[in-house]
Amino acid sequence: MEELVQRAVARDVAAFSLLARQHQSKVRGLLLRLTRGNHALADDLAQETFLEAWRAIANFRGDSQFATWLYRIAYSRFLMGARKRKPDDQLDDWQGEAPSGEAGTHARIDLERAFAKLSPPESASLTLCFALGLSNTEAADALNMPLGTLKSHVLRGREKLKALLGGP
Amino acid sequence: MNDAQLDELLSAPLPERDAGEFSVTLMEAIARAQSRPARVFSWITIGVLTAVIAAAAVYGAAVASHAALGTQPLLVPVLLTLLTLLLSYVVFQAARD
Repeated sequence: MEELVQRAVARDVAAFSLLARQHQSKVRGLLLRLTRGNHALADDLAQETFLEAWRAIANFRGDSQFATWLYRIAYSRFLMGARKRKPDDQLDDWQGEAPSGEAGTHARIDLERAFAKLSPPESASLTLCFALGLSNTEAADALNMPLGTLKSHVLRGREKLKALLGGP
Repeated sequence: MNDAQLDELLSAPLPERDAGEFSVTLMEAIARAQSRPARVFSWITIGVLTAVIAAAAVYGAAVASHAALGTQPLLVPVLLTLLTLLLSYVVFQAARD
């Protein structure tokens, strides 16, 4: 376990604050994709994720990467939130804005719109395995699902994306 | 779009998000979460304090009423209890600020 994580496990607020700064962007990015571009909801869920992580940090044993542990909390917070949301508040199409000043912006927007058509497990599986660089095993651990299930979500998600983005 | 193009698009890192305001809000939430047990404890303490003082006042008034207070034996304990509640409220406000 890296030193910063060890200090956080010993309930060092400063160390946890540094860890939160290091990981916030990726956790918020994952949640933004899951909430289909709803920035406010994604950030609320990210706050809940880090707050829960702080409460449970003493239970972190270092069996997985700290980031993987955070993604697991984030995904479970998202699922809990989705269960509580009223039917009127369900997330449908991509609600985000175009990221400015980025190369390939149009392709990116198209990708995010296509991601909004995927189921949460497909979206999370693809994001963890590709954009966040987790191995299949780590992603399955983060999403609390068997490895085979994760692989089928990745496969199905890719096929859907290809169809949505005009693949052959 | 072929597989390679899709892989490239999927593997692009997620847009970087600024930590500033998010971190400040998070640290405030953690500070609130950390102070919660202390706040709960202070409320319990104040409750116990109120009960003890009220009981003592009632007892004192009951004893005194036999000698001097005559027709209004509950006046003193009621005033003391109100004073205790007022002080408790002041203590709570101070603790919250």
